[in-house]
Amino acid sequence: MVHALDEIWRVLTSNGVLIDIRPLADRWPVEVVSTRSFKETGRLVDLAEQVNADEASDKALKEMELHGWFIREQEEFFPFFYSWDTSSEMEEFIAEEWADFAGLSDNVKQTTRSAWAISDADSRVRVRVKMLITRWKKNQQETMNEHRHHRRTS
Amino acid sequence: MTLQKDPERNETKYLHKLVDFKGKRILEIGCGEGRLTWRYAKEAQTTIGIDMDINALRIAMVDRPFDLENKVSFSATEAQYLPFSKETFDIAVLAWSL
Repeated sequence: MVHALDEIWRVLTSNGVLIDIRPLADRWPVEVVSTRSFKETGRLVDLAEQVNADEASDKALKEMELHGWFIREQEEFFPFFYSWDTSSEMEEFIAEEWADFAGLSDNVKQTTRSAWAISDADSRVRVRVKMLITRWKKNQQETMNEHRHHRRTS
Repeated sequence: MTLQKDPERNETKYLHKLVDFKGKRILEIGCGEGRLTWRYAKEAQTTIGIDMDINALRIAMVDRPFDLENKVSFSATEAQYLPFSKETFDIAVLAWSL
């Protein structure tokens, strides 16, 4: 991962910018929403692969920052919604696509099914994924010597 | 299945809030099927999307709009060994791939 960041540093121009967009484990909320109503029915369970991925990413970025390859300029969080017509479609997706990343407890499953069943006709079920976006600026002048040293020794 | 990803387009809003793609040369790492690529590629000068998922890249190439054929290309490449000269790109985007 750090080697990839090193490569990205190399191919960027002196004023180059690195944008990192990624989801963060945060027990993502499950919601039933319509044009008239909103209900949070519970939260997903963070599973090991997502937690480990977050830790590995943070570690790599910290190392990158320590080397001085990039300077953190701006950082924001935003919600990224996965939205389905029905609760069963959400359940199917989570079981198939997120098996290693996030889990749905039986309790949240039942609460969501019930909320969706009695909700408005235009209701959808969604998961609010917590996203992090960071802007990094390539640090050209300050780290050339240190960077060259790293490339020679790694 | 009726899955919608980011129907409110928050990702696009925040991406454009943090960076101006106009006239820039972009490297997108982990482009997958190009979902994010299509949100900025029209403004950019050129875009190269890389990913190790060949099937996703096939979809990206099929989905590539006609007017972006000369601006956007895809490659099955690992981020650890980028086959590009130094200082080739203005912006690198790590798309859910770090």
